[in-house]
Amino acid sequence: MEGQVIYHPDFLVIPEGGEKPYLVAYRCEKCGRLYFPKVNVCLNCLSEDLVKQPLGGKGKVYSYTIQYTPQPGLKAPLTVGYVDFPEDVRVLAQIMAEPEQMKIGMDVEVTVGEIRKDADGKSMISYKFKPVE
Amino acid sequence: MNLRDVYVIGVGMTKLYRKAPVSIDELGRQAARDALKDAGIELKEIEEIAVGNMIGLSKTICLGQRIGITLGCQGIPIKNTEGACSSSAVAAHMAWERVATGLNDVTMAIGVECLSSYRAGGTAFSPDLNDPEAIHGMTMPGLYAMRAKRYMHDHGATKEDLAMIAVKNRKHATVNPYSDFRTPLTVEEVLNARVIADPFTLLMCCPNSDGGAAVIFATKEKAEKIGKKLVRLAASTITTGIFNNSFRDMTYMDITYRCAKKAYDMAGLGPEDVDMVECHDAFVVGELLYYESLGFCKHGESAEFLRRGDADYGGKVVFSPRGGLLSCGHPTGASGAAQIVEATWQIRGDAGERQVPDCKVALTHVTGGGVYGTENAICTIHILTS
Repeated sequence: MEGQVIYHPDFLVIPEGGEKPYLVAYRCEKCGRLYFPKVNVCLNCLSEDLVKQPLGGKGKVYSYTIQYTPQPGLKAPLTVGYVDFPEDVRVLAQIMAEPEQMKIGMDVEVTVGEIRKDADGKSMISYKFKPVE
Repeated sequence: MNLRDVYVIGVGMTKLYRKAPVSIDELGRQAARDALKDAGIELKEIEEIAVGNMIGLSKTICLGQRIGITLGCQGIPIKNTEGACSSSAVAAHMAWERVATGLNDVTMAIGVECLSSYRAGGTAFSPDLNDPEAIHGMTMPGLYAMRAKRYMHDHGATKEDLAMIAVKNRKHATVNPYSDFRTPLTVEEVLNARVIADPFTLLMCCPNSDGGAAVIFATKEKAEKIGKKLVRLAASTITTGIFNNSFRDMTYMDITYRCAKKAYDMAGLGPEDVDMVECHDAFVVGELLYYESLGFCKHGESAEFLRRGDADYGGKVVFSPRGGLLSCGHPTGASGAAQIVEATWQIRGDAGERQVPDCKVALTHVTGGGVYGTENAICTIHILTS
């Protein structure tokens, strides 16, 4: 994995054996609230007892946009969207789909890929979404 | 504690330029000089100054002190503050607080920004790259575009509605000599401009601009002595976003609802009393969402509100009489103070061709974005009355 950084091993698991990648949320042991990505303290009850909870690989697009003027250094068109997981967590990520495929409410699943280069020019690998086939 | 009534005794603003002919500190100095001239007081009567600027963009150090020193200040406290687009509304709050609490009798707030000198044109503004959403490519146009898409999906607003807001605000700016964006627009032109973040075209996003704005606050006693038409700052409120990364309706701007309630309570007024609003219309959908969250119509009804002309001259309340951020441009750190300057002119009846008839109550609203898990990081509202 030289020349790559993973964003971030604390909340993204890419299995060695070729199984599907998945996200890891953090559940507050005291009040039950779920967080993604990782927080250091429960923002609801301030407990520091947070445990890992893997998320199922699928969610629904709550909203999205196709950016034709993305951040400097990123390639257009770039689709980003909020995806709601059934566990009641919302995640923003890039969505790998053709513009005409995109719809509010569509089912998507977790995948991984390069999201940008980091400050040192290394490929930054993170979670993305793609339409469920 | 009992707060003292606070009045606006002087305002000043530079033109809001596509590209300023002078440096950032000079923009601030000119605005402050004009505010002093407007109030008819001496610089030495100002007891404290708060300066708002988006320091993360301008990369300035001691900007407020630089402005104050070149203005001729002789050692008074000067404080710099940042809150993204609401930076100088926060500065106004700080200056108001000094007078309201009795610590000072006369204070000044300055907002200043010179985007053309440090932000490349044609780029999308994005939150701090330490933010997990920004890392994945979120931009501010992108965030508001997602709001617009979901609002259209849930409440039946159309792209034409979005374009109408840009057209309305531009129409207002055509008679505003402080704006550098005064060519009238049509719905077709707005819809046919190049797409920035679907469904927004370029003309549905505020342009960059440069400028400075300054407001002087004082006690009632001082304001009466000056003898100008009284303009009271009846409310100055700030709220912060509350984290929620589970399901939330991103078209319900909770931070603005909370800030508006606080402001109306403080002023003892309601939306039915308000004659004009300058809101955070950085992107067209903002204005739609703020008709609702500032209390002028119910959630989901703002497209109807717009189509009926309720947000324009002759309607229920005039939104963006100076042209808003959409048609004055958005000198981010200066916009909060610039809105208060406009509100003051409108209440005094000094707004020229864009004067809102019989303007007695004006509300200014500006948020600051870019912390994941919140609709906005910060929200500020000021209510000015005659």
